[in-house]
Amino acid sequence: MRTRIRVLAPLAMAVALTAACGESGSSGSDEGGSGGGTASGEACVPIEGDQLVVLEDDMELQNADNVIPAVNAATAASNPALLPALDAISAALTTDDLIALNAAVDVERQSADEVAAGWVEESGVTEGLEQGSGAIVVGGGNFTESTVLATIYADVLTAAGFDASVQEVGNRELYLQALKSGQIQVFPEYLSTVTEFLEDDENSEIASGDVDATVAALQPLAEANGLVFGEPSEAADQNAFAVTTAFADELGVSTLSELADACGDGSLILGGPAECPERPFCQPGLEETYGLEFDSFRELDAGGPLTKAAIQQGEISVGLVFSSDGALAQD
Amino acid sequence: MLSAGVDAVLAVDEAPNPWFDGSYVADNWDTIMGYLGEHVRLTIGAVLIGTAIALPLALLARRSRLLGGAVLGLSTIVYTIPSLAMFALIFPFTGLSATTVLVGLTAYSLVILVRNFLVGLQGVPADVQEAARGMGYGAVRRFWQIELPLALPAFMAGLRIATVSTVALTTVGVLVGHGGLGQLITGGFNANFYRAEIVTGAVGCVLLALVADVVLAGVERLLTPWARAGRA
Repeated sequence: MRTRIRVLAPLAMAVALTAACGESGSSGSDEGGSGGGTASGEACVPIEGDQLVVLEDDMELQNADNVIPAVNAATAASNPALLPALDAISAALTTDDLIALNAAVDVERQSADEVAAGWVEESGVTEGLEQGSGAIVVGGGNFTESTVLATIYADVLTAAGFDASVQEVGNRELYLQALKSGQIQVFPEYLSTVTEFLEDDENSEIASGDVDATVAALQPLAEANGLVFGEPSEAADQNAFAVTTAFADELGVSTLSELADACGDGSLILGGPAECPERPFCQPGLEETYGLEFDSFRELDAGGPLTKAAIQQGEISVGLVFSSDGALAQD
Repeated sequence: MLSAGVDAVLAVDEAPNPWFDGSYVADNWDTIMGYLGEHVRLTIGAVLIGTAIALPLALLARRSRLLGGAVLGLSTIVYTIPSLAMFALIFPFTGLSATTVLVGLTAYSLVILVRNFLVGLQGVPADVQEAARGMGYGAVRRFWQIELPLALPAFMAGLRIATVSTVALTTVGVLVGHGGLGQLITGGFNANFYRAEIVTGAVGCVLLALVADVVLAGVERLLTPWARAGRA
């Protein structure tokens, strides 16, 4: 296990180095291909800056992955106080809250328990809750945001009279089974992801950027699977495109549509995961839905440290991130 | 450009993120002890149950070459199932519980235990067996008083290897949320590469394996006083 960690750091380093190499190569071939390198302008070249900001997805290109409580149907039926308590959390939670919670754990290194307790205290959601009783196990995925959300759920359910505990679980294939069978009773889910997961057909897409439409599509699937979903929260963890605040201020843009208007000269450099140039949510979607034109694409990671660093260091103008990433916290 | 690439990696280092952080261990002491306790329980449980299954299998395998081949082959095949797949296979029956991990770990311990038990039993000299039979020892008495003591070094070697490998394998139980110290390792990776958490889990596993091995070595020494007398 020690070796694994030692191996990882050089590995990450190598990835970064190859990414840097690829960049000089691709820009070279780019100039060769277009013949006139001056054809693209300079308006939207990357601008360095530490602070990142997400450009609003005003045409709903991305599926709505709002946080939504998933509950075992039998448990929800026998505990009428359960769903209202979870809905109270959904009503209070915002994406900015998620960003702050993630930043507190991932960047400031506070414990998930403290961070969750702090939010519950501050939000005041525990006031005036219907009281229930009995043991409730809240599942949490093994990553920061899910752990914090599960802990918030458990804290609020405890305040509502339940004997709630958190059980960390691995992937969705396993924990959804456990949720259906009632081994765990509650799980903080993501709207579009769970909708598409419950709808087995990989070829059809029923989730969309429209929260209400996706919730409507989710209801029959939930019933068929013995699950009940609460109200979706405003807080969402979904694909988003970030720029530096310096870049956004310079161009005066806050939405992707405005970016498309401001960057018609095709000088934008996009960064994201390797599959970005093929996936509809990424480069093709940006080009077709928003009419954005890119000078080049740089292969980095899926909303990870490489992409974020590349935006900050002015290597790419816009990069794919996750909307609740702690790195988006505004100072 | 080279320095830019290196900087990119160091983005996670913007906040202090040391490999070793005493305050992490102090702040999360209860959590760490909880995971350590689960790790120890799973390891001891798996090795004990594994022993209880492996011993009869080894005795059975000793009877004929055919049976021996079958038992060893089967346990080896089980060992080749990837651990991630193993836990996913057991999951439908035992769910998101520690039992899922326990069953998997027990299955993996079998290949080491059966093989070592069998080697130990086969190592008992035929003339000693014969002498025991000649003195009127029955099968049960012969096992407890003749074969077991003679095979003990091989048995203990098997137990030590099985224990150490089980300590390492337990971490894969993260898949169903019962990975002992493995929870810290994956948790750290998923929390923006929190090194202190990862190292705490990893070093904890290594220390646990070392301690378990030393304890078993001590037990072996206590159980085989004749070996010491022979060396002295």
